[in-house]
Amino acid sequence: MASGFARSLWLRWVLFLFVAFLGLAVRLPKLGERPMHTDEAINGYIVGQLLAGEPFRYDPQDRHGPALSALALPLARMQGAKSFSDLTESELRLCPVIAGTVTILLFGAAVEMFGFLPCFVAALLFAFGPLSVYYDRYFIHETLFCAATFGLILSGWRAAERRSLVNAAIAGACAALMLASKETAVLHFFALMAAAVVFWLWSRPEARARVWTRILLTGGGTFLALSALLYTWFGENWRALPALLTATPHLLSRAAGQGHGKPLWYFGQLLVSGRSGGVLIALACLGFFAVMKRRDPSAYRFLAIYFVLIAAIYSLIPYKTPWLALNLWLPIALFAGGAISLLWQAATSHALVRIAIPAFGVLAILVGTSIAHDTRQRVFLQPADENNPYAYAHTTDDILGLPTEISEFAQRDGISNPRIAVIASDPWPLPWYLRHFSQVGFWQPGRQPDQADFYITSTDIAEQYQAQFKDFRPDFFGERPGVLILLWLPAPK
Amino acid sequence: MKIFVSCVSPIVAALLVATAAMAQDKVPLKTQLPKPLFVGTPVPLNVPNLEPPLKGKRADFMVPAGTVLLSKGKKVTASDDSPVTGTLDLVTDGDKAGDEGSWVELGPGKQWVQIDLAKKATIYAVLVWHYHSQARVYRDVVAQVSDDPNFKSGVTTIFNNDFKNEVGAGAGKDQNYVETYQGKLIDAKGAQGRYVRLYSNGNTTNKLNDYIEVEVWGKPAA
Repeated sequence: MASGFARSLWLRWVLFLFVAFLGLAVRLPKLGERPMHTDEAINGYIVGQLLAGEPFRYDPQDRHGPALSALALPLARMQGAKSFSDLTESELRLCPVIAGTVTILLFGAAVEMFGFLPCFVAALLFAFGPLSVYYDRYFIHETLFCAATFGLILSGWRAAERRSLVNAAIAGACAALMLASKETAVLHFFALMAAAVVFWLWSRPEARARVWTRILLTGGGTFLALSALLYTWFGENWRALPALLTATPHLLSRAAGQGHGKPLWYFGQLLVSGRSGGVLIALACLGFFAVMKRRDPSAYRFLAIYFVLIAAIYSLIPYKTPWLALNLWLPIALFAGGAISLLWQAATSHALVRIAIPAFGVLAILVGTSIAHDTRQRVFLQPADENNPYAYAHTTDDILGLPTEISEFAQRDGISNPRIAVIASDPWPLPWYLRHFSQVGFWQPGRQPDQADFYITSTDIAEQYQAQFKDFRPDFFGERPGVLILLWLPAPK
Repeated sequence: MKIFVSCVSPIVAALLVATAAMAQDKVPLKTQLPKPLFVGTPVPLNVPNLEPPLKGKRADFMVPAGTVLLSKGKKVTASDDSPVTGTLDLVTDGDKAGDEGSWVELGPGKQWVQIDLAKKATIYAVLVWHYHSQARVYRDVVAQVSDDPNFKSGVTTIFNNDFKNEVGAGAGKDQNYVETYQGKLIDAKGAQGRYVRLYSNGNTTNKLNDYIEVEVWGKPAA
């Protein structure tokens, strides 16, 4: 069956399109329900600035690259958004949903590299796995970055295999998309280049002397041109290029942790969590060691070297956030697919095939059920719960009540256009939640805010404004687990 | 003048004696506090209309001599028959540690727990620990005492910070407060009843309602 599908290109794509469609169907429901994480709110604000006609201004201190905004902007416009206040959670999150769906589809293009069954299983794991479904519904750069990385691996391999200039250009474009998503792309470039060098040295010594100047020039040229085009926002902000070059010291300082420092084994712990994590990682280990045992120059061998390098880099850097695990999940899904393929071959070639095949089916149902449980629990039932390991420093549901309460009290007091003053050193994600109010100001602690109808303060600075708040009644809101803010409402007269 | 003094003096003396006797009858309420689970007070609030944070241990709360803990091990019922986490008996089991497994978690939105003191009592204090391993505020906290298990008649509200009247017990004027290991002490002012009911409506971290422990202090009716 598998070989039949592999031979028929048409059938193969129908199948992968179907899996991608299912993946899309899993990613779309309740897309706007989870509160906006601070990072999502900032990215949403940037899209709002672009909607207002401002160019993207790259700032290595505060922002990643422009790729996410560049893709989200037309999507938002197509959905009718004209300004920041028009934007909705689901409009913005549609961008990573599409990027995630494209990643699933890319497994169909990987069949020549990794085989039909491993790619099909990996596509299913990506389509339904809790980690990929969760972050494909998150308006951050990681999903796009992951899709571009996969695109670079596929097109880079094809360019090398077929000496194809078209694939070299696609590889360059994917690399540019990676860099324009996150500057940490350089870590992946290093891991991919090192893996390529090790792979050629180990597996194809006869190819050492070959120099593919045209391929490298095409890929490199496309990469440089597209990176410059995106970072300068299509030529509107040339200062972005020197700023990009100065990003390294900032990235190095962030790598030390900056409050996000975690132990070496953090990603391992995260990936084995839940009902399905352990089984999937065990399968991936099986696939990985089977690849390392075989000494043939397969694409799997290249992937294994890349995986070891990138996993080591991400684990050794103290700064860790759970969405970075998506970069490891891509090769893990392929290794797990490889393991399934091996087990399938072993089962079907065995004399007791009649017993092995149903046993395989039962195992598939058990694994599938546990994946479905984890995805339902983490993505749909507890998407922002502090016990959900993917919900990292997440905005709590409580904040959703804040704009509603302001509107209710403004209506009670006959204020048609309430003036809101926010005093906090880090107000995010409040700009997102206050976007529907036209008179909102933000002040740093210690500064005297303008006269307002409502004040919002962090809890640590409220005491400084005692006199100003004497006719106000405070109400607490949870911003993140354990982090409270105060909404100061006009006291009843 | 002499007549006035001779009339008033015995009254004043009697009042002084009565006050002294009452003062002698008052003793500090002694409860065992759990270990703090987060360091320091995360919200140094000293602003109008907001309960100031406790600096160090709470000042002694005076209750009449003979006041005892009435709620330990007493039957607890709730609006949520199937708690998300834990069992209802945790509310009165005496464990206030706040570690995993020491609390019951009721479902989202407005919920209540009710303690049956087994017989009518005069209640002087109610201490509530919702959750104290992170800074949280529980919404719409209302505490009531009644002889009616359904709380339809003879209800005395002893605490209410539900200023939007979400619970339906009337708009409250008590202040919001941040949970700490010292629990929330509610002055019940000698309210009488057999049942104590506590409402809440989610918290600032999630929509759930947690109870580590509730202590009801008072004197059983004679």
